[in-house]
Amino acid sequence: MSAIAAKAGADAGAFQPVPSIIALVLAIIVIAVGFVLGVGQTLCLIVLGAALIAFGVHFVPVGGAPAAMGQAPGIATGVPMLAAGAGLAGLFGGAWAAELGLAVALAGGAIGGALMMAITCLMVNMSYVFGMGIPPASGKIEKDPLTGYSQPEFKSQGTEGHGLPFISYVGGVIGGLLGGLGGTLIYIELLEFYEAAGLDFAVGLAGILAVAMFLVIAVLAAYNITGTIEGPHDPKFKRFPRAIIAALLASALCGILALLLVLLV
Amino acid sequence: MQEIIIGIGVTALAGALAAVAGAAEDTESNIGSQGDPNSQVQLAPQMGYTHRIYNKAVSGEPPAYTLWVTLACGVAWAFLMMGMNAILAIVLGTVLATIVQGVYATTAYLGRTASLSKFGQPVFTDVLKSVTTVTMGHAFVAIFTTVVICYLLATVIGHPFSLPLLGIVWGLALGAAGSATGNPYYGKERQYQNQKFGAGVPISASGNIVRYAEAGQRSSIDNGFFTAKFGGPASGLCFGLIVFFELWRTVLFEHYLAGWGAVIAGAVIIIIFMVIDRYVEKWARENYGPYTEA
Repeated sequence: MSAIAAKAGADAGAFQPVPSIIALVLAIIVIAVGFVLGVGQTLCLIVLGAALIAFGVHFVPVGGAPAAMGQAPGIATGVPMLAAGAGLAGLFGGAWAAELGLAVALAGGAIGGALMMAITCLMVNMSYVFGMGIPPASGKIEKDPLTGYSQPEFKSQGTEGHGLPFISYVGGVIGGLLGGLGGTLIYIELLEFYEAAGLDFAVGLAGILAVAMFLVIAVLAAYNITGTIEGPHDPKFKRFPRAIIAALLASALCGILALLLVLLV
Repeated sequence: MQEIIIGIGVTALAGALAAVAGAAEDTESNIGSQGDPNSQVQLAPQMGYTHRIYNKAVSGEPPAYTLWVTLACGVAWAFLMMGMNAILAIVLGTVLATIVQGVYATTAYLGRTASLSKFGQPVFTDVLKSVTTVTMGHAFVAIFTTVVICYLLATVIGHPFSLPLLGIVWGLALGAAGSATGNPYYGKERQYQNQKFGAGVPISASGNIVRYAEAGQRSSIDNGFFTAKFGGPASGLCFGLIVFFELWRTVLFEHYLAGWGAVIAGAVIIIIFMVIDRYVEKWARENYGPYTEA
């Protein structure tokens, strides 16, 4: 990436105070309505889960189409889809452990998401190294902050890097961890609320709405990232506060609608 | 004890089925040219390189497989509720989902290729007839095996999610694992076989995909033949390991430490995979060396 392009990208991701304050105020109003209706605490935990997902998506190294040609580092698929894949694998584990208590379920969900990413990221590197003879290299940093490996000389000519340097691998695992944790938190909160309301299909409804909210937040975060991101060392990572604020508002709205569904049943 | 032994058996079977599903998914997406590498198939005619490669990016692989697997799970679940035999119900659900996949593939090929007519790219009806059914065959295998995994999880293991909801979770994970692992091998190694081995494709070469084979023009079915040797099995291994370890850690260790056993086992497995990745990176740098002097 040229210096000009890098500067333009940085400006595009700059924190914008006015829209952020408006979004925060709207989110607070929705949560206040939730408290008035008696669902405030559950709603707050759903919003917390969404914030964890939005933060986690920024850790996941996604290279999109350029990564499929070895032109950019990261995993060769879309941001929301990969994050959702990891998060839902975590949700699967968390839902399975739901009867063992909140702490075990949350930890199970987090580990499930992280495990999915750990295996996927390893197979991505295996594919690059043993299938294509290409070593991992970052295009955004001179040295890997975890391993101290120098990056530029391992970047092939005419590309922005390829594969997953160790910092990106660790970022992927952390992203899966946070995604699984957030998704499971939303599921457990919805499940407890629906069960308390006496719904027969509480598990199914909580599951489908947790999946839906996960996708909403993952897509919002993907818009914030705009295309590709290498992981926590990428300059785009600093944009995460904006995604968290957007996630607070979106999840507050989705959450209150999900909770008010019981009135219709 | 019996419950654990049955759980281990299901874990092994689900892991094996997932390996088949991942391999079939990647091969299907490469023959049909779905996923990120298809950007080059779409780009090539715009750069003056007309071709006979199939072009069916219905959507990204994860949402596409979410739809197809969930559809098959939903139909199978409805038949099961009516008291139908499980195998027959799953097969009928899979057949319906495969037909939907075929319809999507046909409309995607016709629509996407027709949109390139101003660049001189023809729509080849023989390509449509010969390749669509091959992608449908692979899709059937991928969908069927994934639905069987979901069925085992819902009935034998006793996961609280219903069959269609499990279809959403594992369909998305299947597409994510298959596209993450398999896409670079199809995109870089096959479409750009004319570029240097052991290096990424220079951005300036974008669109100049390989269009000719040993005799005549390259067919998409040959792309599946090529990627089935590495990208497909690697994708299968990826999805197989995900399903296997997710189940294995829970089935074997959930009974210890009030559920924390499964969490600790998962954390240990993650650390082991991290160490392996670190070794792979180190090995690559030591054996392949830098491209240029620092």
